[in-house]
Amino acid sequence: MSQIHRIGGGLIDRATEITFTFNGKAMRGHPGDTLASALLANGQRLVGRSFKYHRPRGIFTAGSEEPNALVELRKGAAQEPNTRATVAELFDGLEARSQNHRGSLEFDLMAVTDLLSPFLSAGFYYKTFMWPRAFWEKLYEPAIRASAGLGRLTMEEDPDTYDKGYLHCDLLVIGAGPSGLMAARTAARAGARVIVADEDFVMGGRLNAETLEVNGRPGADWAAGVVAELAAMENVRLMPRSTVYGAYDHGTYGVLERCTDHLATSGGKPRQVLWRVYSRHAVLAAGATERPIAFGNNDRPGVMLAGAVRAYANRWGVAPGRRVAVFTNNDDGWRTAADLAAKGIEVPAVIDTRDAPAVCDVPGARHVRGASVMDTRGRKGLRQITLTDGQMIDVDCLAVSGGWNPNVHLTCHQRGRPAWRDDLAAFVPGRDLPPGMVVAGAANGAMTLALALREGFAAAEALGYADKSDLPRAEDEPRECAPVWHVPQSRARAWLDLQNDVTVKDVKQAHQEGFRAVEHLKRYTTLGMATDQGKTANIPALAIMADCTGRTIPETGTTIFRPPYTPVPIGALAGRARGRDFRPYRLTPSHRWAEAHGASFVEVGNWLRAQWFAREGEQGWRDSVDREVLMTRGSVGICDVTTLGKIDIQGRDAGEFLNRVYCNGFATLAVGKVRYGLMLREDGIAYDDGTTARLGENHYVMTTTTANAVTVFRRLEFARQCLWPDLDVHLISTTDGWAQFAVAGPNARKLLRKVVDTEHDLSNEAFPFMACAEVTVCGGMPARLFRISFSGELAYEVAVPARYGNAMMGVLMEAGAEFDAVPYGTEALGVMRIEKGHAAGNELNGQTTAHNLGMGRMVSQKKDCIGNVLSQRPEMLHEDAVKLVGFRPVDRATGLIAGSHFIRQGDAATMENDQGWMSSVAYSPSLGHSIGLGFLKRGDARMGEILRAVSPVHGREMEVEVVSAHFINPDGERLRG
Amino acid sequence: MIINHPLLGPRDAAEFVYLGDAALIDRPDWQAEDAAEAFHAYGYLRDNPAGVHRELWYHEQGDRSWLVVTRDTVSHEITAVELARDVARARGRGR
Amino acid sequence: MAEYTLQAEPPLAGTEMEIAGVRLWAPNDLALVSLALPLGGEAAAEQAVRAAYGVALSGIGRSVVAGDGTRLIRLAPDLAFALFPHATPDAERVVAERLKGAVYTTDQTDVWVALALSGGNTRRALERICPIDLHPDVFGMDHAARTVMEHLGVLILRTGDDDYLLLSASSSANSFLHAIEVSLRNIA
Repeated sequence: MSQIHRIGGGLIDRATEITFTFNGKAMRGHPGDTLASALLANGQRLVGRSFKYHRPRGIFTAGSEEPNALVELRKGAAQEPNTRATVAELFDGLEARSQNHRGSLEFDLMAVTDLLSPFLSAGFYYKTFMWPRAFWEKLYEPAIRASAGLGRLTMEEDPDTYDKGYLHCDLLVIGAGPSGLMAARTAARAGARVIVADEDFVMGGRLNAETLEVNGRPGADWAAGVVAELAAMENVRLMPRSTVYGAYDHGTYGVLERCTDHLATSGGKPRQVLWRVYSRHAVLAAGATERPIAFGNNDRPGVMLAGAVRAYANRWGVAPGRRVAVFTNNDDGWRTAADLAAKGIEVPAVIDTRDAPAVCDVPGARHVRGASVMDTRGRKGLRQITLTDGQMIDVDCLAVSGGWNPNVHLTCHQRGRPAWRDDLAAFVPGRDLPPGMVVAGAANGAMTLALALREGFAAAEALGYADKSDLPRAEDEPRECAPVWHVPQSRARAWLDLQNDVTVKDVKQAHQEGFRAVEHLKRYTTLGMATDQGKTANIPALAIMADCTGRTIPETGTTIFRPPYTPVPIGALAGRARGRDFRPYRLTPSHRWAEAHGASFVEVGNWLRAQWFAREGEQGWRDSVDREVLMTRGSVGICDVTTLGKIDIQGRDAGEFLNRVYCNGFATLAVGKVRYGLMLREDGIAYDDGTTARLGENHYVMTTTTANAVTVFRRLEFARQCLWPDLDVHLISTTDGWAQFAVAGPNARKLLRKVVDTEHDLSNEAFPFMACAEVTVCGGMPARLFRISFSGELAYEVAVPARYGNAMMGVLMEAGAEFDAVPYGTEALGVMRIEKGHAAGNELNGQTTAHNLGMGRMVSQKKDCIGNVLSQRPEMLHEDAVKLVGFRPVDRATGLIAGSHFIRQGDAATMENDQGWMSSVAYSPSLGHSIGLGFLKRGDARMGEILRAVSPVHGREMEVEVVSAHFINPDGERLRG
Repeated sequence: MIINHPLLGPRDAAEFVYLGDAALIDRPDWQAEDAAEAFHAYGYLRDNPAGVHRELWYHEQGDRSWLVVTRDTVSHEITAVELARDVARARGRGR
Repeated sequence: MAEYTLQAEPPLAGTEMEIAGVRLWAPNDLALVSLALPLGGEAAAEQAVRAAYGVALSGIGRSVVAGDGTRLIRLAPDLAFALFPHATPDAERVVAERLKGAVYTTDQTDVWVALALSGGNTRRALERICPIDLHPDVFGMDHAARTVMEHLGVLILRTGDDDYLLLSASSSANSFLHAIEVSLRNIA
């Protein structure tokens, strides 16, 4: 097919011809075309089917406000639905398809729904599909989804990548039309750091679509000149193809830059970048959007907005029709008629709703005064219009202008409300603008070119960016408008929202049914929803609503504009955060060693920790874990415990500080000793636990749980800065700095003796349980040694600078070879702590107190510490309070279930009879049966009692016996030996 | 949001962690007669103003300072940012 | 002679590449020690630093390079970092001895991992992950800032016209390198 509608002129590269396909049909266009302009050039008027009634639809606008021409672009996984053809930049090889029809676009089988339209009016879904309820999921919803709706998803993973970024500027200029360019040039010449963002791929805004002149030259040339000047300035960043989609707090703006959408492939580069722009000031120069007039069958392909029709002729060298009538209620519509006539396109009539003289001379056109279009004909494209005076005129395109709406959207993103201006019959920005924002040009209701240029200049000046250059000369073109929203003589359906198939009748019906608030109207009729958010439909619909209620439009009010201004793909919002890159990951120092020795890893927060080390012949994880436990308890095991938080605490008052943040006393901790500490929240609930070692007079090292490392540090800083600002205490994290290994088991001392340098005495007398020291290992390597035990065995933790950690793991294993040392992972660690009855995350779950944990006596009442006052509330110390105890199954072969609740034998399993819950369970290879820890009312006084452990989730229950939580070595002679 | 750190200049709120009412600085005296009531009020009772609010923010991805930010909860306008340590001292907190 | 010896394996050792005209590498043997200024002893601490290094501690968010190549970075009123070339694991002791107890020192060498970037496109690449303004007029020579990039805490230093040193937690070194490498590839 040739470009039968291509005419002269325009900002396209005629020397280069590119090919693309629409529904598989090959077509041609030029660089500089949009898909819409190229389709029109090729005579393709029908481009899609409507959302609800499957009505034939064409291209309605020439910009991002397009409600109709939604297409699928590209193929395979890269296919994207619901793309507006009016903003899709044409490239060689582009594949586009129409959407929302069954069968071909020309003969959509679903078009039958249009015949059912009397039954499908506003609120149809709500009324019809109410019952029977079960039918909704199984029948109605699938049927509706299949028939209505927009494009299809491929269900394949998006092959493109996306990125984000941060930009800073003095002035963000939103929109590169005449006022935006003036503001940018003025501020840039004054030395400001300026960013100019425009959604179009050619800057200049309406200047590119008009025949207006600036300084006696074509406006588009003037714009190109300013853009070239700005591009050469170091303090200016031009961002074409970039939509400012949201105005956020404190001068922050969201900008979506489309980097490769205009290229055949992204070439491995991010397809789009979501920028966060930090600005001191912003000039909103977003222009205005034309609105239609509603009349019978005003949705046929060929009915277009008048400004769009002349944009296609002027900017793209395309005639949207061969015989184009103009229907207008304002002066601007006449400009379309004049421009088309000047291009040699036949304009049979200008129909003006106003009974007033012609605005300008349009050769060959009849001026029909005080009349309207009330109906149209042409099944798949406009053929004829009928006027209110009965005249019928054959046309293939009708250019409609109902006036222009300033694009106030971004002024409302912080709940600003627009103000009505009667002279424009439109909303303009209100007084409550986002701080730092100034509005200029058509967005501000300055509807002529001369005004727009002046406002752009003045906006920059008002923000303190002075430039002495002269204002460019331009005309104040006629802009009178007499609002007409709807042609009441129309008998056929008159469409308001083309995207959602909402008619004038639907709005009236919604009003009759009581949906009178605009937000209700929107939700009941779906007016203003979906990709275009009613950019062309909202104001006419409001006007009709106002008419129904007898109120004015400003009294009726608008719906609230929220970001985004135009759609933002989910991929762009996700940015890089996909798959493995969703969040950072942390590796322990011995990760490489563990990988090489069969470790399976588990995610613990961001950490990857060795969970167990499988050996050949082991059938499953339990085999490995049981072996690791038995070999550790039998001889010696080694575990990387680097992930525990480590906080270096120094200062003259460090000891006093610790005494206040732990509930138990730290004032008496001697140098060279370690103490277990329990931290409470201020409400008395147990928060975190760990050990703190005193390495020197004013030097301590605290450990926290892995999970709370960050939040404990935060709380300590709060205590240091906000509660006791005059204590001399200094905190710094050293978690990543030291590779720390637990060496546990009866042979732990013998193993370490081979690694720790000989001048350090490791005997039980010299280095007893809960001792610590700075030592050297492997011939002078600085190290820290702590005699602490989580497993209940004779155990140490030894730390070396992290970069030596991988080697240290190897050395410990090598030195341990003669003892059959094993590496163990987090599972064996967990089994051994349950066997020993140590609380962990399952027990410190944000609901339990020191009293519940059996550590009530640790809470010192002789000192001030966080949580001690509220921990003494009577309800928390109630004699019926739950206590941490151990459990074993009466039938030893049964596996306990974590989360079970305890019920007395004979009682019903109800909430009233609840006695507590099982918090942790494990199979104890040491004992040969399942064991558990749990919280039981007065548990410490109920040793030997038999209870039922009920798990309604699993539908199971079993008998359990209450025992001490210390299953292994309750007297602790092993860890002290 | 942007928080204008008194020592570091404007920083994105994403670098900060929010805690809440700056009244949390005024931790009661544990030995007072009414300590239990005072701690109850301290721990649980908060004003929730639509308007100016003094609140604690922590510069976790920064210099680790706690700040007292005076912010309008309706408009998000921030009118003052102080180091919490200075505020605490001014309110009589010390050792 | 001990039976066993330990070899250092810094997380990003050997990293060296050029993307988009920017050289990216992991500097070897950089030691880092934190200096906490005692409450009430700030003047004595600053005097000790001057005596030891021949330069005064800079203002917050700035750094200063001493005659021996040590970069002293002031991060907060009571906190500075000393960054200097040093291979052996005794950096803290070396600094502590020079400062004679006037500051609290903590070894931070292995807490962090460093990546250096050099080249005209560095700022353009860092725009993708760095929320703070790196414009040369705003983030000048020897400026320092802690911020967040791709969820990672990062200390960024400007060491030359187009030269930056970035430090982040050593345990997440792979994610850190990945974040910077992707930023460079995305602008290449």
